[in-house]
Amino acid sequence: MNELLLQGLINGIILGMIYALIGLGLNVVFGVLRVVNFAHGEFIILGSYAAYFLQRLLGLSPFLAMPLIFASFGVLGYLMYFVLIRRLAKSDDPEHSSLLVMFGVSIALGALMLLFFEADSRSLAYSFDPPFLMFGSVIIPTTKLVALGVVLAITAVLAFFLYRTLPGKALRAITMNRDAVQIVGVDLEQLSAMTLGLGLGLAGVTGVLVAMIFPAFSPFIGQDYTLIGFIVIVLGGLGHPVGAIVGGIIFGLTEQTAQVYMNGSIASLMGFLLLIGVILVRPTGIFGREAMK
Amino acid sequence: MVDNTRKTQLGTTAKPVIWGVIVIVLAVTFATVPFVTGNLSFMFYMMLWMTMATAFNFVAGLAGYMPFGYVAFYGVGAYATGILYKTAGLPIVVSLIGAGAAGIAVALIMAPTLRLRGVYFGIVSLAIALAAKLIISLLPPKIAGGSMGLILSSANNPKAAYYTMFIVLMLALATGTWLFFSRTGTALRAMRDDREAAEVVGVNVVRTRLKAWVAAAVFPAFAGGIEAWYTNAIDLESSFNLLVTAKSIVYAMAGGLGYLIGPIVGSSLLYGVDHLIWQKFPTLNLLLLGIVIVALILAMPRGIVGAFAQRFSRLRKYIP
Repeated sequence: MNELLLQGLINGIILGMIYALIGLGLNVVFGVLRVVNFAHGEFIILGSYAAYFLQRLLGLSPFLAMPLIFASFGVLGYLMYFVLIRRLAKSDDPEHSSLLVMFGVSIALGALMLLFFEADSRSLAYSFDPPFLMFGSVIIPTTKLVALGVVLAITAVLAFFLYRTLPGKALRAITMNRDAVQIVGVDLEQLSAMTLGLGLGLAGVTGVLVAMIFPAFSPFIGQDYTLIGFIVIVLGGLGHPVGAIVGGIIFGLTEQTAQVYMNGSIASLMGFLLLIGVILVRPTGIFGREAMK
Repeated sequence: MVDNTRKTQLGTTAKPVIWGVIVIVLAVTFATVPFVTGNLSFMFYMMLWMTMATAFNFVAGLAGYMPFGYVAFYGVGAYATGILYKTAGLPIVVSLIGAGAAGIAVALIMAPTLRLRGVYFGIVSLAIALAAKLIISLLPPKIAGGSMGLILSSANNPKAAYYTMFIVLMLALATGTWLFFSRTGTALRAMRDDREAAEVVGVNVVRTRLKAWVAAAVFPAFAGGIEAWYTNAIDLESSFNLLVTAKSIVYAMAGGLGYLIGPIVGSSLLYGVDHLIWQKFPTLNLLLLGIVIVALILAMPRGIVGAFAQRFSRLRKYIP
């Protein structure tokens, strides 16, 4: 096989798993809360900044920073639920209202980061020894491989949580049928708040990984990541964790193999066209349910 | 039986009359500005945002769609004007009509997405806007200026641009009047509230919402083109800026979606505030916009006019 193509495919799978993580965070929140977190990308970048400053000021390695960031973003999400989201459930149009509230949050968060951190791009200085690993003629940076490992670990833990623990099963139950869950005695409020915490925690950790893998980040680049998240979850089906993984890999592969043959902008365009195509042909995505008006 | 018909008649004729008075006041205010001051900028942009918010209301307030890629029409209109004027050498007025045509074309291309549910529709329209931006950036620089954009210096005529914007605003208000008071408007509201029931009563859902959609698309396209004429510069970042969508949404919602005067109230108040903030605290501008959006939806989801109508519900039949 063409070497470049093979490189592109492998890059695609690795990046696809990162994209899948973004999608997982979005999906968890949407499935349970029915809220599309427009600000997910901004929280990811906030996580990147957190990792950056934890390293600059406290000398913490990104790996140690991850659980810290997960915990603090988790608490932030939990509180945010009670401040922002709970009131919306009673409004005329909860779906659009939550979309717009998170839209406002994304703009405000980006502006806050700009104010505090300035517009310069930052990058996380972290390298492994050896920096590259060679598999035959394919070069893979060690960072990417380690990040892949981390993503797989996180996905495994998340799967364990969702399928083997009681709160996790309750979350999945809420995704399936909100009303029935209350009859059975699940505390919807607490779980919803916890889910938002989980979603933001995942976003923060994704941010650390993003800082490690991508060359640089700046306050407003979050929008690009939010969009990637949307593409992934629409491909896989809104609300379906497995769908996010499949969607992420498909999108990663499409983007990276397109980059082998065409220039960067066209590769991005491919991504959007893929999204538009999938929404029009099968709006529910690969695993989702109803979506038509 | 008490004769309530007279009261109802007053109510139903009062609404158009009140609206007519408002339109006349607006028309007189904007038309006379160039005779009073040389600084057209504030009022020009006020008219621009009123047009954008009013047109956004067609599809969001009357039909219930939230196009997050609204800026696509604006950007396409701006670039259509630029390309037609600069590269094809057509006079500016023809270029502007071309902008409107481009807006309609994009709307028709996007028509199949109208059958999607709220969230999906929002996401796909955002993707289409970004795809449009990418496609234009990939066009040969001779036609579309690449990342440097286009400059229209030889068409510089701020007063003419101002009055063209005025005409477009009046057209937008007229379209709004037609949509609102006609059977199409009633059909749209029926669709927004309960689609299946509307279909049962005989509303042609697909055709009706297409009308609202095209109406909502042509005005931002004109606005984009006229703004390009006014400022003489077109570039990707400002023509396809997410903020254009954000401001349209906020100004329309702040006033109140679904009401004709909602976008007028919203844009005049918020654009004024925005302008003030720009002058005093430029760096906080974006942050405040985000906070305003959040606060608005949490505290006044129906907007100022909506909250007013809720509080004084007996006056509702007088509010256009």
